[in-house]
Amino acid sequence: MAVLRGKGLGLEIALGGRDFEDALTELQSKLGERPGFYTGTPATAALGRTSLSNEQLGRLRSVLHTHGIALEALSGGLDLEPLATEAGLRFVALDDGGEELARRRALRPKREVQLSDAARSLVADFAGARADIADRRKRGEASVRRAVSAKQHQSAQVQMPENADAPLPGTLYHVGTLRGGQALAHVGNIVVIGDVNPGAELVASGDILVFGALRGVAHAGAQGDASARVHAIELAPTQLRIATFIAADAGDRGQTPIYPETACVQNDRIVIFPREKAP
Amino acid sequence: MHELKPEFASTPAPAKLGRAIVITSGKGGVGKTTTTANLGTALAKRGASVVLVDADVGLRNLDIVMGLESRVKHHVLDVLEEKATLDEALVRDKHSQKLNLLAAAQTREKDDVDTEKMRLLIESLRERFDYVLIDCPAGIEMGFKNAVVGAQEAIVVCTPEVSAVRDVDRVVGLLGNAFSPQLIINRVRPQLVKKGKMLSVDDVNSILRLPLLGVIADEPDVIVSTNKGEPLALRTDTATAAAYHAIAARIAGEDVPAPTVEYKESFVSKLGAFFGGRR
Amino acid sequence: MSARKIVFTSGKGGVGKTTTTVNVGAALAKRGQRVILVDADIGLRNLDLVLGLEKRIVFDLVEVVEGRCQLRQALIKDKRFESLSILPAAQTRDKDAVTEEQMAHVMDELAGMCDYVLIDCPAGIEGGFRNAIAGASEAVVVTTPEVSAIRDADRVIGKLGERKLPMRLIVNRIRPDMVRSGDMLSVEDVCEILSAELLGIVPDDEEIIDTTNKGEPVVLGETNRLRGIYDKIARRLEGELVEFTNLDNTGFLGRLFGALKAG
Repeated sequence: MAVLRGKGLGLEIALGGRDFEDALTELQSKLGERPGFYTGTPATAALGRTSLSNEQLGRLRSVLHTHGIALEALSGGLDLEPLATEAGLRFVALDDGGEELARRRALRPKREVQLSDAARSLVADFAGARADIADRRKRGEASVRRAVSAKQHQSAQVQMPENADAPLPGTLYHVGTLRGGQALAHVGNIVVIGDVNPGAELVASGDILVFGALRGVAHAGAQGDASARVHAIELAPTQLRIATFIAADAGDRGQTPIYPETACVQNDRIVIFPREKAP
Repeated sequence: MHELKPEFASTPAPAKLGRAIVITSGKGGVGKTTTTANLGTALAKRGASVVLVDADVGLRNLDIVMGLESRVKHHVLDVLEEKATLDEALVRDKHSQKLNLLAAAQTREKDDVDTEKMRLLIESLRERFDYVLIDCPAGIEMGFKNAVVGAQEAIVVCTPEVSAVRDVDRVVGLLGNAFSPQLIINRVRPQLVKKGKMLSVDDVNSILRLPLLGVIADEPDVIVSTNKGEPLALRTDTATAAAYHAIAARIAGEDVPAPTVEYKESFVSKLGAFFGGRR
Repeated sequence: MSARKIVFTSGKGGVGKTTTTVNVGAALAKRGQRVILVDADIGLRNLDLVLGLEKRIVFDLVEVVEGRCQLRQALIKDKRFESLSILPAAQTRDKDAVTEEQMAHVMDELAGMCDYVLIDCPAGIEGGFRNAIAGASEAVVVTTPEVSAIRDADRVIGKLGERKLPMRLIVNRIRPDMVRSGDMLSVEDVCEILSAELLGIVPDDEEIIDTTNKGEPVVLGETNRLRGIYDKIARRLEGELVEFTNLDNTGFLGRLFGALKAG
């Protein structure tokens, strides 16, 4: 499990269930890959059931400080609370479910989860931007941006709910190709019968389905639903976003296959599966 | 961005009115003006009466490319503002009786053009000529909107470059279906396409998906002809001229075989062209 | 000390503004300057494409101006360089999404973060052009040695003069063989017509289209001869007096036609 993850409003340093020295070394190396990238981001140290000494805390803060990251909170067992309070940090108590999960995760082999050839992943490159999108959501600003539908009179809307909490989100059907510079935004799912060209954008609070080539930017689960999915007959987007996860093509996909694929979030990153193999 | 409102597209031509075609691209420098000049020349050679309208207020160039800059006495704005009549502003071409030019103003701004008056001007030109070809400026601002008003058809010019394809796609999206846009791909270098160093016709049209009017190969002669003010379509011996004549035939409704680009001959003969061998 | 804010403009589209902005910026960055490139072509953005950074765009200039994100968050750092970042334009908006004042304000903020702010201007002389020059303190006019381009450059130089912006000229896509045969204006002709001070001469190069399609600035390639030329332009911008190079050593054609300058 990676020691550094984007979570909620900032970063999470996952220290639970592992050797502190190892974790600190890995952390330094990860941060060193992108100097300055995380500057100004707040961080939480997640300890699980592991304990942390004053001295270790000091060293952790020092490493983070070098990269302009402020440690804001500790999460873990109740015995960490006095340490947190004394150090001026917020304390988040871990419930038992979380502890069990952390324990199990720590037992997994440390190398990255190997995905089968059929399940290729996109590179997640945007911890800072994710944090900002999450921040916006928290402030109540929908990530479903104000954008103009390209051809309103041609699209048949099944149901247009008034508020985002409606139990069955309606689906916006758009017939025709979306060209560069055009955008569709909808509270609900979006279906495009046609292509989505580079420079075009789709933003949906639900799922996105493109019955054609998706070559632009698609943002599914734009109001925070990380279970949302993006489907396309040819999935070749410039950038994919699901909830607060953003990914761009790492460039190693080669020729994009022209069979239906689905993108969803797995293990905190966006992964692409051939449609029939999607979980 | 909204699609252009319906009133920007004029009503389709009844039998006696000429056809108003705007030549546009979004991206600058792809050959809109050259295409307008050559297409006009080719159509006039076939016996049609043609007027070329330069809609690039402030950056006029159609007159230079036609070699008529010294003969321009009045321009479009003079006519729109009723400081000159249409007859006073129209410039007869040096080579063909049937070809005329309405130049743009050089020292004015695009905002000076009254959109509605422009539309009426194009309508009145349609009453006098078989073809009204409107040379559109680069960009998608007011200049573009004023060039498009009054036209019922559009020819979109694109070069085999990623930036050009994106910009052209944007413009096609703005034009919508009202203008039945058709595509000319300009400045193709077949040797580079073969080497994989340039987009192919398929690469371009897999995004644009427009009916293909013609494909024109890059030739040093084009620059020469522009500088001299003699459109290539006046000649019968170059591939470019042949391409424009084929396009003109297609526009006129003839069933001309599919456009292809010939592979250039050997390096030696190409060198011959550079050794001052004027064809 | 605040950065220099330079707008790259031309009037005529397609003469190579974006390619020039990117390659000059990259050359400056290679020389250790901190450079931020700004795409002022709202609705027709291309700067990101030419650098191959399109896939990393999350926020853009318009969102910065509208306060929906911080300036720092919209900047995309090009990982191939020590210090080269871009501020992308918005694609789904129009030029009237920002005002001249807003542009000037953002450029000033950027100037506090680096050594050079290079602004890629849209074609034309309409609102997009006015917005782009609003944030600049100097200008580089890019032209090709073609009559239409020169005429447009002339108009633009006039407009820059109205705003009292100091400017210098880059002549792009020169073809020495055609200058020799009298089929193309020489650089001297161009400078004479435009009465402008020369910043650089860039020869026509088949390979450059491929580099822009692939998003690889010339300065990153080992073999491209334009690399040296953009480096010289960067040095001249920094204030060095650099001679214009000869094109002699470009092989057969060059030797045959004798020395013709570029650089």
